[in-house]
Amino acid sequence: MSILDQEPRTTPRNGDRTSLGSARRLSPPLRDGLFAVAALVIALVAILPGRDGAGTSISLMQLVGSMAAMIVAAVGLNLLMGYAKLVSLGQGGFYAIGAYASAWFILDAGWHPLLAIAGALALCGAVGAVVAVASMQLRGPQFSVITLVLAILVERILNEAAPFGRLAGYPNHAQHGTTGLPSIQIFGITLEPPMIANTVATVMVPVVVLTALVVIISRNIARSPWGSSLSAIGESEMLAAHLGVHVFRRKVSVFVLASVLGGLGGVFTTLTFAHLQPETFDIFLTITIVLAVVFGGSGTVLGPVVGAVGIVWLEQSDVLAEVSQLQQDHVSDSWYLSTPGLVGVLFILTLFLMPKGIVGTLSAAVTGRRRHAQAGEDDGAGLGETAGLDADSDAVPDAEPHAETVAAGQEDTVGKHLLEMTGLGKKFGGLQAVADMDLSVDRGQIHAVIGPNGAGKSTLANLLTGVYRPSAGTVVFEGRDITGLAPHAVARAGIGRTFQTPQLFGDATVLENVLAGFVDTGRTPLWAAALKPPSRYRRDAEMRAEAERLMRLVGLEQFAGLRAGELPYGKQRALEIARALAGEPELIVLDEPAAGLLATETAGLGDLLISLRAHGYALIVVEHHMDLVARIADEVTCMDQGRLLSRGTPDQVLSDEAVVAAYLGKPMEEHR
Amino acid sequence: MDALVLGLVLGGLYALLAQSFVLTFITTKTLNFAVGEFVALGAFVVLAVASWSWLPDIGKVVVGLLVAGLIGALAYRFLVLPFMTEGEHDVRWLLSTVALSFVMLNLITNVEGPSPQRSETARLGGSVDVLGAGVSKQQLLIAVLAVVVTVLLVVASKKTPAGLVMRAVSQDPETTSLMGVSPRLVGMVTYAVAMGIAGLTGTLYAATVGASPVMGAPLLVASIAVAVVGGLSSLWGPLLGGALYGVLSEFASYEFGAIWGETAGLLLVIAVLVWRPQGLLGRRTEVKL
Repeated sequence: MSILDQEPRTTPRNGDRTSLGSARRLSPPLRDGLFAVAALVIALVAILPGRDGAGTSISLMQLVGSMAAMIVAAVGLNLLMGYAKLVSLGQGGFYAIGAYASAWFILDAGWHPLLAIAGALALCGAVGAVVAVASMQLRGPQFSVITLVLAILVERILNEAAPFGRLAGYPNHAQHGTTGLPSIQIFGITLEPPMIANTVATVMVPVVVLTALVVIISRNIARSPWGSSLSAIGESEMLAAHLGVHVFRRKVSVFVLASVLGGLGGVFTTLTFAHLQPETFDIFLTITIVLAVVFGGSGTVLGPVVGAVGIVWLEQSDVLAEVSQLQQDHVSDSWYLSTPGLVGVLFILTLFLMPKGIVGTLSAAVTGRRRHAQAGEDDGAGLGETAGLDADSDAVPDAEPHAETVAAGQEDTVGKHLLEMTGLGKKFGGLQAVADMDLSVDRGQIHAVIGPNGAGKSTLANLLTGVYRPSAGTVVFEGRDITGLAPHAVARAGIGRTFQTPQLFGDATVLENVLAGFVDTGRTPLWAAALKPPSRYRRDAEMRAEAERLMRLVGLEQFAGLRAGELPYGKQRALEIARALAGEPELIVLDEPAAGLLATETAGLGDLLISLRAHGYALIVVEHHMDLVARIADEVTCMDQGRLLSRGTPDQVLSDEAVVAAYLGKPMEEHR
Repeated sequence: MDALVLGLVLGGLYALLAQSFVLTFITTKTLNFAVGEFVALGAFVVLAVASWSWLPDIGKVVVGLLVAGLIGALAYRFLVLPFMTEGEHDVRWLLSTVALSFVMLNLITNVEGPSPQRSETARLGGSVDVLGAGVSKQQLLIAVLAVVVTVLLVVASKKTPAGLVMRAVSQDPETTSLMGVSPRLVGMVTYAVAMGIAGLTGTLYAATVGASPVMGAPLLVASIAVAVVGGLSSLWGPLLGGALYGVLSEFASYEFGAIWGETAGLLLVIAVLVWRPQGLLGRRTEVKL
């Protein structure tokens, strides 16, 4: 199939290769196990002071309950905002829905508590799904606006709808004869809220255990291919689609997940306080959740946890009130800030001083130091490398006559090419960017597409990979009609690509970039990402070994731990190719791979492409660099003004007068 | 009929404020979520200078507009600009303007107290009969002003050098900066104009409901909705969005009760965004690889 399952002789080296900065690390299952145990222990220690139900511990237990609620809501928002970079201002709305719906289902509808909680979470998920479907075409401010609209709608309904008691709260004396929800009973155990002295607040046990589980599961998700797909979406949706991610579905899923976790925060509030006041679910709440994520560190596993604990503590302790009093004493008794204003100032300061949040800043400092130390060790190894792509013949396993066997297999299906474009055309408004193009390529073949600027080469590449939908014509790949499929479907069909300007995850390491290229990014189901079954560990190890092999193939092995953004340009191109290879494509479309490369790098690129051909890949290379084209291409297509100008072997095409004229202009006499 | 006229008038108020969102969005691709507080700021500044008897009302209104505009420009320079440096997905400015809104709201509340104060500046008493519906003159003034401001902005953007610069920055800030125009300066001026409009809205609106710290909050929600419905990239958008939103919400609250008024308006936003994410009059930009 590909080179993926070859090269046995380097596998033994994987053992010491994985030692890239991880020699002192524990094995992944052990590390995950320790994290889970630590999370549960911390959760249980937090409620230890309430074990005897002493009246003095009530306020502490309520504080822990508020923190737990904020943690799960913030963890949910972090998946959305920290990874997929969708800044939702609606998390407070889901929190409110979760709180009110669970209370209403228990009291008014009389449901079994478990059913009521499940129902409340399902309602949050359903509302989230509707909002997600409605807002998924939006990005940036418009997305934030629509989620804000949701939060405001929910707030208005809670404030003004009679069944929820309006400002009297829920439940209230007038409607229910009580101001507290009855203690709920599950499996014969009564779960008491932290309200009454000398009654053990048993409800705190499931609250903190669930919180710990949510943190563990969110960590699993964030570190799974599912999580990388969110980061990919955050970086560029087009890129994510080319990695085989169904962007729309994935965005809806993560939004629903975040909504359910927001709702769970509300459920915790209901369980802890047994009474709800509409004014606690205002815009300030939704912003506080966002602040918790940003303050702790968005896009980190522990950030939202730290942020939520910090913010809730700040708001409930006397610190802010004291600061406010200080200002009144020393500055002015009218020009001062109280809690909401101080939270605003804290927010602004966080953005200025700690844009990565507490956890993000700390971990950047730690990894920075570790990398620094590592760079020192790696110095010797690094020097031997030329600063470009080099398809070191040692790294590339000698080509078995793979291509030929494949080609021989192809003989049976006469006239059927791996890829066959027929009559392909694309109009942008009145502009015919590509017209009536035919093109075919087979396994073990390099087809170069050349042409002057504006000839429609990149448009052709984009038509092929699903970025644009063709206005006319068909594309058939492996005998299957893929005309007009979305990019993720094209990628899954087995067509990889690289971009004119490398599209990488600049903040992620080289290794992580390659890992994002595997089909798992698009295909791992959410449950598998969340629960992390043993098969996941095996697959992770496999992917890692394979990624290391691919990095060696393109000459990146000693850069595995480096941030992709720090790579020299030529290496970024190599990384993009390695990532495309990780997706196990049959055909790779390279859009101007030599643009911006040094001469030595271009030569290395040529070697690499030739070796890929030898392994049976089909390559379509859009390129300007004629030396490279002449050296590697089996067939060359020259386009001009969206149409086929010339086709043939490199020699034929490059000596074609029409091609020369298209590049250099026609001789003067012909203009007359 | 009543609902139609009252809805249009109400829509005028929202449209006027929505114009400040559209202005900042066109040039800087940012929105100021503290607009509601600039509304209150304008109202309170005018209230503070109300006792200057030497200054005619129009002068007091201009003072409110200028102060709001100046603080708006500073807000852009120090709270928006530093937080929009990392490309189009960088929406930290959204968080910083929300934070600014908290700070301003809190400060105004602590200084002026939470209850509404009567404002007599630039106040037209009485009402007129429009197609059988009684409309207060003040509200009509605001609605007419919304149309006037929109026409002025459209003419200015088409006919004046400043308008040309504004449109250039909106299309391609980098290239524009190569032409010797500072996108930062353009952004500050736009924010000044936009927040000036918000302050003006506040002054005129305070004359009907009184000046209070939270007076801007309901306007913020409605005017963001209006701006999004009309299209954030279109100067004509607010008038169309305002008309639709105003009439729909007035009609719904007339028929089904007050709570449904706003709900209907917000559902309109969702419907429009699903159907045309760029808004009714907005332009869609294609992603290029």
